Amino acid sequence: MSDDVLLRATDVVKSFASRRRVKGIRSLNTAVNGVSLEVKRGETLGIVGESGCGKSTLARCLVQLLPVTSGHVEFNGVELTTLSRRQLRPHRREMQLVFQDPYASLNPRRTVGDIVADPMRINKIGSDAEINARVRELFQTVGLDPTALRRYPHEFSGGQRQRIGIARSLSLNPSLVVADEPVSALDVSVQAQVLNLMTDLQDEFKLTYLFIAHDLGVVRHVSDRVGVMYLGEIVELGEAEALYETPLHPYTEALLSVVPELNDTDAPRRERIIISGDVPDPADRPTGCSFHPRCPVATDLCTTEKPDFVELRPGRFVACHHPRNLEAVAPIT
Amino acid sequence: MSPEETPTDAVLSVRDLSVSFATRQGVVRAVDGLSFDVGTKEVLGIVGESGSGKSVAMYSMLGLVRDANVSISGSVRFEGREILGLSDTEMQSVRGGEVGMIFQDPMTALTPVYTVGWQIVEQLRAHNDMTKKAAYVRATELLAEVGIPDPKSRVNHYPHEFSGGMRQRVVIAMALSCNPKLLIADEPTTALDVTTQAQILDLMGRLQAIHGSSIVIITHDMGVIAEIAHRVVVMYAGRPAEIGPELDVVRSARHPYTWGLLGAVPRADVKTRRLVTIPGNAVSPLEVPTGCAFAPRCQYRMDICAERPPLRGARDHLDACWLSDEQRLEIRSTVTVRGES
Ligand SMILES: Nc1ncnc2c1ncn2[C@@H]1O[C@H](COP(=O)(O)OP(=O)(O)OP(=O)(O)O)[C@@H](O)[C@H]1O
Ligand SMILES: Nc1ncnc2c1ncn2[C@@H]1O[C@H](COP(=O)(O)OP(=O)(O)OP(=O)(O)O)[C@@H](O)[C@H]1O
Ligand code: SF4
Ligand SMILES: [Mg+2]
Ligand SMILES: [Mg+2]
Repeated sequence: MSDDVLLRATDVVKSFASRRRVKGIRSLNTAVNGVSLEVKRGETLGIVGESGCGKSTLARCLVQLLPVTSGHVEFNGVELTTLSRRQLRPHRREMQLVFQDPYASLNPRRTVGDIVADPMRINKIGSDAEINARVRELFQTVGLDPTALRRYPHEFSGGQRQRIGIARSLSLNPSLVVADEPVSALDVSVQAQVLNLMTDLQDEFKLTYLFIAHDLGVVRHVSDRVGVMYLGEIVELGEAEALYETPLHPYTEALLSVVPELNDTDAPRRERIIISGDVPDPADRPTGCSFHPRCPVATDLCTTEKPDFVELRPGRFVACHHPRNLEAVAPIT
Repeated sequence: MSPEETPTDAVLSVRDLSVSFATRQGVVRAVDGLSFDVGTKEVLGIVGESGSGKSVAMYSMLGLVRDANVSISGSVRFEGREILGLSDTEMQSVRGGEVGMIFQDPMTALTPVYTVGWQIVEQLRAHNDMTKKAAYVRATELLAEVGIPDPKSRVNHYPHEFSGGMRQRVVIAMALSCNPKLLIADEPTTALDVTTQAQILDLMGRLQAIHGSSIVIITHDMGVIAEIAHRVVVMYAGRPAEIGPELDVVRSARHPYTWGLLGAVPRADVKTRRLVTIPGNAVSPLEVPTGCAFAPRCQYRMDICAERPPLRGARDHLDACWLSDEQRLEIRSTVTVRGES
């Protein structure tokens, strides 16, 4: 594995037993359906997609909080999916999660100081005094007052709780931070504070981020590269600016066209492509391309044959039989 | 037009609406001096962050605040008639009849134990003289109108058999069932995905064009406002910070809070550099400053800001801030008010 890749996922599949029966048979809910991606050292890879498309499940599979059904996850060149719990432990420390809900992810009965100190205690890193000093330092790093160490989570606002979650995730000096909707529960003004903080921390500690969100603006803002998920699959992946300016997959194109825009310049608004219907049940996946029932440019081919996920333009991977806007992006030479 | 004058074509005219709750911790001033008009066929957006009083304002106008410790003052005129303080029965004929409502959570408006058809029929018959059969036919038509596939069979389904977006369509069908003059929607798309949000906003826009109703849409998303509202009220801590035509507010905002709000949004349509942040947290509704509510977080605060700024301005673009026009011009020329690159 080339040295600049920190994490590589190959054909990751995660299925849950579904309660639904399709044609009388208890079906499998394939929440993640063959995802391959690389996260490069020091970058932010954004994953964006609508509710239920499998973002959180993918994140959990990558950090080994959930066993994969099939596929491989390599971290720092080590295959993780075959390791025992004990063998995993040193790698787990390197990958930390920040969760969406700052309310639910902090133990209400522990002081915020303990919450941040716990990972260090569990991993027996340093003496009590060293841990205490480190907690104070972390509080300062994320912009919290260290005199508040003995308070409880409910005494903090949503934005402050998210800072506590971030401080906790940094306590073991991870190289990868997987943030699952870290700002979705916050008001815009507080969201901006937390996003700026995350950017600063990345520079300061040379962190690599896997940043998951459903908000397309947030993902564009933080990401170097972006993967777009639909129904458990990454349908398009590429450099963030290029992907947002010239989406190639019809789903990406439609998604970006309907994000409400401020229209504060004289540039014409992107023409809206309103896709009809709802996302299909992942337990009853369409044949061929998973997007075909809602795709405005689908053909017969799309209903029968699943498109491969291939590099259509430099660094841009797309799974579609009829990619859009190809003429607008320079081809691979 | 200043908010003191009542224009003749206003469908809804709100003057100095104030709503407070007596709680054990003290008095919560949820809404404090809100005034605005909604013209015929106009879409008015109310935008503000969590707790800024958007929902309480709407609920109090419609007599839906069910709290013994509430006190409401001011005036709310619907087609010239005062509706604040109407009795429950009088209010019931307004709600769901001439005024339709859409909520963030469609299940607020739906009962899980009845089919959606039954619920629309009840609504229709409560406000119109209609036979059951005619009402069922109309209910099916309404479902078709809001884009529910296969309405003839869907009319007999229960709410839980619909997806979130489909449920919101059903609620819109109910809200429209009596051809309301005014539609009030509280975060109608906040719980929905962007593609579903686009379907619903598109639907609301089309139906408004057909039925000619006026709309008040409450949201925390400036983008949604920019997409569908003609005019916008920016609320902060229960008070209007700025009111004006959507284009003017988005392109030449006057209030420092609006500047912060616009600059804080990471954009999908253009590359944003560092986001503008508003320092601190939202004020507690128990401790709203007596002067400008935004003063503790405002970087342009002056001595006079300890007094409450009046809502004033040129023509239809009003704001509550003590900064002079010259000061604002200077600020806007020296700082990035928006997060644009
Ligand atoms: N533990 C589980 N057991 C069964 N099904 C699950 C489980 N976790 C997730 N799923 C299913 O997997 C699919 C993907 O869910 P996931 O939570 O990963 O989506 P998501 O993209 O994170 O959505 P959201 O934006 O709502 O957080 C859904 O259909 C969900 O119901
Ligand atoms: N019954 C009540 N008793 C006391 N305080 C209340 C009551 N109802 C609402 N409030 C307070 O009034 C303020 C305004 O609340 P409101 O629900 O109108 O905010 P909002 O702008 O709709 O916020 P959101 O975006 O979160 O929906 C809040 O501080 C809220 O806590
Ligand atoms: S009145 Fe003063 S404190 Fe309030 S927004 Fe204007 S400058 Fe800032
Ligand atoms: Mg999730
Ligand atoms: Mg509300």
